Amino acid sequence: MNVNNILRNIIRSRTANIICQRWKSSDKELTSYDPFLAKPQKTKETYLEVIKMFEERDTRRRGHVEFIYAALSRMKEFGVQKDLEVYKALVDVLPKGKMVPTNVFQAEFMHYPKQQQCAVDLLEQMEDNKVMPDSEMEQMLLNIFGRRGIPLRKYWRMMYWMPKFKNLSPWYLPDKLPVDTMELAILALQRITSVDSDTKIDIWKTEEIEASLDKTWIVNGQSRVQQVLLAEQPPDEPLVIKGPFNVYLQDQIVTYFLLIGKTRPEYKDDTDLDDVSNIERPPRIPGVIGKVTLPQVKNTIHEQDDGTIVAICATGTSSRDSLLSWIRLLEKYNNPHLANIPVIFTLIAPPSDVSLFDAQQEKDTNKNTSSTN
Amino acid sequence: MNIARKVSSIIPYHNVRKNVYRKFRFSASNFDSSAQSQPQVREEKFDFEDLKVLERVERRNAQISPFMKDVFMSIFNKDLLAYPEILNKEESAALDNRVAALESVFSDPKKTKDDRRNALIQTGMYGAPASLTNGGLAMNYTESLRYLDVISTDLELGLELSDHWVSLNVLKLGLNADVYQKLVNDLTSGEETISICIREKIPERLMQADFRTTAEMDGKGVWHLNGEKICTNSTGYLLVLCLVEETRFKAFLVHPRANGISSNKNFVTFRQTPATPLDEITEEALSQTLAASRLYTATLCRNSLKKSMHTCLEYIKPRYFSGKPLTEVPTIRAVVGDTLLKQYASESAEYFTAGILDGYLQPDAELEMAMCRNFIANHAQYQLLQLLAIPGMEMQDRCLELMEEMRLLTLRGENTDNINMYIALNGIHHAGKSMATEIKQMRNPMFNPSFIFKKILTDRHQERDNPKLDLYLSEHLHPTLKQSAEKLEYCVLRMRFTCETLMSRHGQEIGNAFTELTRLAEAATEILAMSAVLARASRAYCIGLRNGELEMKLSSCFVEKSKARVQKLLLEVNDGEYLNTDHFRIQFGKKVLDNKDAIVEKPTARVFW
Repeated sequence: MNVNNILRNIIRSRTANIICQRWKSSDKELTSYDPFLAKPQKTKETYLEVIKMFEERDTRRRGHVEFIYAALSRMKEFGVQKDLEVYKALVDVLPKGKMVPTNVFQAEFMHYPKQQQCAVDLLEQMEDNKVMPDSEMEQMLLNIFGRRGIPLRKYWRMMYWMPKFKNLSPWYLPDKLPVDTMELAILALQRITSVDSDTKIDIWKTEEIEASLDKTWIVNGQSRVQQVLLAEQPPDEPLVIKGPFNVYLQDQIVTYFLLIGKTRPEYKDDTDLDDVSNIERPPRIPGVIGKVTLPQVKNTIHEQDDGTIVAICATGTSSRDSLLSWIRLLEKYNNPHLANIPVIFTLIAPPSDVSLFDAQQEKDTNKNTSSTN
Repeated sequence: MNIARKVSSIIPYHNVRKNVYRKFRFSASNFDSSAQSQPQVREEKFDFEDLKVLERVERRNAQISPFMKDVFMSIFNKDLLAYPEILNKEESAALDNRVAALESVFSDPKKTKDDRRNALIQTGMYGAPASLTNGGLAMNYTESLRYLDVISTDLELGLELSDHWVSLNVLKLGLNADVYQKLVNDLTSGEETISICIREKIPERLMQADFRTTAEMDGKGVWHLNGEKICTNSTGYLLVLCLVEETRFKAFLVHPRANGISSNKNFVTFRQTPATPLDEITEEALSQTLAASRLYTATLCRNSLKKSMHTCLEYIKPRYFSGKPLTEVPTIRAVVGDTLLKQYASESAEYFTAGILDGYLQPDAELEMAMCRNFIANHAQYQLLQLLAIPGMEMQDRCLELMEEMRLLTLRGENTDNINMYIALNGIHHAGKSMATEIKQMRNPMFNPSFIFKKILTDRHQERDNPKLDLYLSEHLHPTLKQSAEKLEYCVLRMRFTCETLMSRHGQEIGNAFTELTRLAEAATEILAMSAVLARASRAYCIGLRNGELEMKLSSCFVEKSKARVQKLLLEVNDGEYLNTDHFRIQFGKKVLDNKDAIVEKPTARVFW
């Protein structure tokens, strides 16, 4: 990587707004032409079209390095930054055979440094966007830079580490996340509640509760153990709704809330562990197993230091009203005990600021404004 | 990791002289204690003056310390290597007569179930454990095993009768004399049998106790039961174990056709069922008496294996392969031979245990009974599958029947895991009592530096898996069994070291080391089987029983294999959870239980193209 850094410092003289500037010194007016900007529709097809146009316009492909840098910086706009096919199309812009070193000196002293750096930057961008190259890409890079090229080294390193990291997360997510916020919330809750494989994820509509103002959806996660823990809550001790908390699914945020109950006392053990003179024995009557009394201490995964998590949810609006509906729906489905227990809302921020729904809308509007710019 | 194991002292050697002598002498003939272990015939002392002597004469020896529990501390009661002899000449003759009478009915496939039941009634089997004055036979455990060997041809009757016997013993101790006298005739007549209801369903909810059947007394002093039990036969009397006052166990007798009993397949439900309490029996005595059901299960299981072997032989005998009889195929012979070996070992262990129960006062053989059951349950299942592989896909129905029988027996009352934990924890409990100070020192090495150095020196042989054989068991067996005896000795000597390792590793929390305890229990079980087999073979050869030399070979072979198993098991315990991969097995299991779908990708899956 050292070589890369040095190289980058030497070569990085390109301007930030990568535009093919032609006839800069001519007496005519400065003409800057950005083929990407000219496209009214920002899709993968149009992006590939621009690349195709560049390839066909000039058989010598002058300015291809600049073109690639320009294309790389416009990827997000076209929403193709995660598309391997597009990266391949960009690599394909580089001429084949011409830049393969033919002798020791060329190989050692970095043949065509600017082009090599360009390819390395392209690979770097792929890595940042978690796009894994495939073996076809290796073939293309081999044809362009030969097996002593620095892009190849970068490629091989990527192919050593990226597959190892790709499936490392215990909370596996599909490559393409769903667009629907409810689907996202389901994915998030499934991952959060994976501590207890018994957890059931329910999707409820607030319409079921007549008094509700917000008509939205609620994704609820609760296991049978949690239902029991909730049923044990003494009626004079209030339950607490805590939230909103954020959980990231790749680059998406989902807000969720917790319903927290009382904690059972910590298991106290003041026996001398070193004293083995009277080790506990199982019941001696054949056929009798286990214990006749139940432990009244903390022993489930849901009982954390700051409280017992008895349910978890994400709602469409994350508003107080939707949370109220959530409590009522919980009561309706399998938790009748909730009718007698007071519930306290301790929401840190005003609910409208953090709603998933709004965030999504905001995002959409941002997108629209930026595209019109 | 015991630093204690690395340093040590010269053991105070009390009998150096004797040991030196042992090394250089030629035989054990003049060793004083070996006379004790020779088969002996004891004179019975009748008190002819006392005309009330109607019961069997008490011939039991003085109480001994529990045999297998001591083995956990590497203490071996060598007297038992003489194999217990319980019956005298008259008893033996009477027993043989009854067994012959039963056998003539039970071995005849044409006889119906009613014929068999009649034969049982005629020979007085239903009242056998009751005392002579109550019209019973005052049967002891050794005799009961002989009877059960014959009766188990009919598994249903075997199960029924073994439960009946155990319950009768419980009732004898539990009911007060008047009530017992009132009931005893009805109970011993054979019209109504007694079934045992102890086991309950595993709780289906988090907040449900493991044991839920309760009994309460109403205003009139009548006890009422509520709950559900696992029980296959709910027509006769039922002996039900209940909880009273939240935590105390108490047994109750439910009469036939009492109110509020409803049965559904394997389950019996009680709703406000009136019952007679067994007030006289303590929980301790109750558990000891009920534990005999484990011994009977072992016998039934062994006989079921025997039955399977005979089914298999019937299949093999008239068949040919490549122009040769199937009986000549060595692999088939090996499987059948193996089955015989397992049966022989189990039978030895059962009668050995029965001998301990019958031969000594206040016997503590609960561990031995549990071991008998586990030994055969473990081996019979495996052996049955081997046997049934011989007919292959032929005889489908018969094979299924045999397998179902075996499944029923190996899971009867409780499963192998529960019993393994029971064996190991009871053994460790016993060992812990006398090893407590030592363990405390080992767990605090910095406070006891001199002890640690001593320990390292004394344990240096154990660390190398090569303990010094100083029990001299071979002196109590036939000289040809010397090598086998040394193998047994090795196993026994390893037990203390292993218990020490376990206790110093886990301390009081040893109950959580499930996998290690299971191994310890299995090893101890094998040691019981080895001791019993060696003692039996030695006895048989010494007194010149028919096929005595075959027994010697059987015992040598069994000990050879068994020692390897014990060595492996105990080494794995000493290695700890990482070297014996238990830690990882548990993790894998957890992963599977936590995940809803498959956790390993298919071999065709790819990460990139």
